[in-house]
Amino acid sequence: MISIDIYSRTPVYQQIIDEMKKEIVLGILPPGAQLSSVRELSIELDINPNTVQKAYIELERQGLIHSVPGKGSFVTEDAGAQIRRLIAQEESERIRAAAGHLASVGFSEEIILEWIHDIFRNSKGENYHD
Amino acid sequence: MIEAVGITKYFENFKALNNLNCKIPDSCIYGLVGSNGAGKSTFLRLISGVYKPDEGTILMDGQPVYENPDVKKNILYVTDDLYFLPQSNMKRMADFYHAIYENFSYEKFNELTETFKLDPGKNFNTFSKGMRRQAATILALAAKPRYLFFDETFDGLDPVMRNLVKRCIYSDVLDRKTTTIITSHSLRELEDVCDQLAMLHKGGIVFESDIQDLKTSLFKVQIAFGDPFDQNKFPDIEMVNYSQKGSVANIIVRGDRDAIKAKLRLMNPLVLDILPLTLEEVFIYEMEALGYAFKDMID
Repeated sequence: MISIDIYSRTPVYQQIIDEMKKEIVLGILPPGAQLSSVRELSIELDINPNTVQKAYIELERQGLIHSVPGKGSFVTEDAGAQIRRLIAQEESERIRAAAGHLASVGFSEEIILEWIHDIFRNSKGENYHD
Repeated sequence: MIEAVGITKYFENFKALNNLNCKIPDSCIYGLVGSNGAGKSTFLRLISGVYKPDEGTILMDGQPVYENPDVKKNILYVTDDLYFLPQSNMKRMADFYHAIYENFSYEKFNELTETFKLDPGKNFNTFSKGMRRQAATILALAAKPRYLFFDETFDGLDPVMRNLVKRCIYSDVLDRKTTTIITSHSLRELEDVCDQLAMLHKGGIVFESDIQDLKTSLFKVQIAFGDPFDQNKFPDIEMVNYSQKGSVANIIVRGDRDAIKAKLRLMNPLVLDILPLTLEEVFIYEMEALGYAFKDMID
């Protein structure tokens, strides 16, 4: 179930895109799954159908969904893998930036690595995402 | 599709609209903001064929609207000062609307009057101001026109009614590509409903934008450095507004948020905060960038 904050600074269509991607990557929407129609989603979320349409067009442009005329929109086969690649790229850049920042103010490689190990030790067994 | 090209309208010596141009595509929900006397109602009266423009042309789906019943039967305009037939009730008004609007749905009419507990057989004289507003809105929605104009009718609806109207408009957009125009004094009334937003001032549209794009176009940067600096320190950042107090600068920036943040971080600031702007603030700065003082335009 997608949740939207219409007063957020993030555009509503972007929120829909982000939520859809999250559902795809978590497998809630597996490859080949059918998306809610523009009508259904517009009514369910109480938002402007033009906005929903815009989000779907963008998802389709990114190759994450494809539409079959008269049937609806479906998750493409490699959508999950694509999103995962994108996340890997973005987040590894962030790790690099953070590590670089820490190193520049004098933290050693050992300490930084230790923190990273800690994160995995602490979250072991927990089903943690977001 | 509504196309207005170079419309000018005078009332005696007063120029209500001055060379106004706009294009409103099908199934758009178009929000029009502006202060009193900006020309909002005049614009609606022109595109619904009540007034004839002194100059310029108005086309609805390529057809002129003035004195053209074929086009006008697709248009429903809910005016600010509501009109009902003398001594009538909702039932009579429904019959009246039915005679004009071929899509008028009694089913929807009954459903909506039921939802709002309005007695369709009761004389309008016994209705409160709010009930009359509800009645007019219900009649408009039941008529299912292709073009639906609300002149400030949205301001001050109670939340339940507001939500219902919103939902009816959305389903009309889906079913029949209905085009809706809503005018208001207040940006906040329109923020969650509309997809396009336009600002009307002194008879012309001074600013028009996709409401979602507006949300991300600008943001505020708060930045501080240990050494003295001024705005020349940021040559490759598009600044809309710059103010500085001591060692802290507030900058309104246009561009890609992450890229700019990364760029600023490389300058080793003492403080770097990226803050979002409210839609109203964005609007104010965008207008200022165009050389208009927003405060003069909104009540």
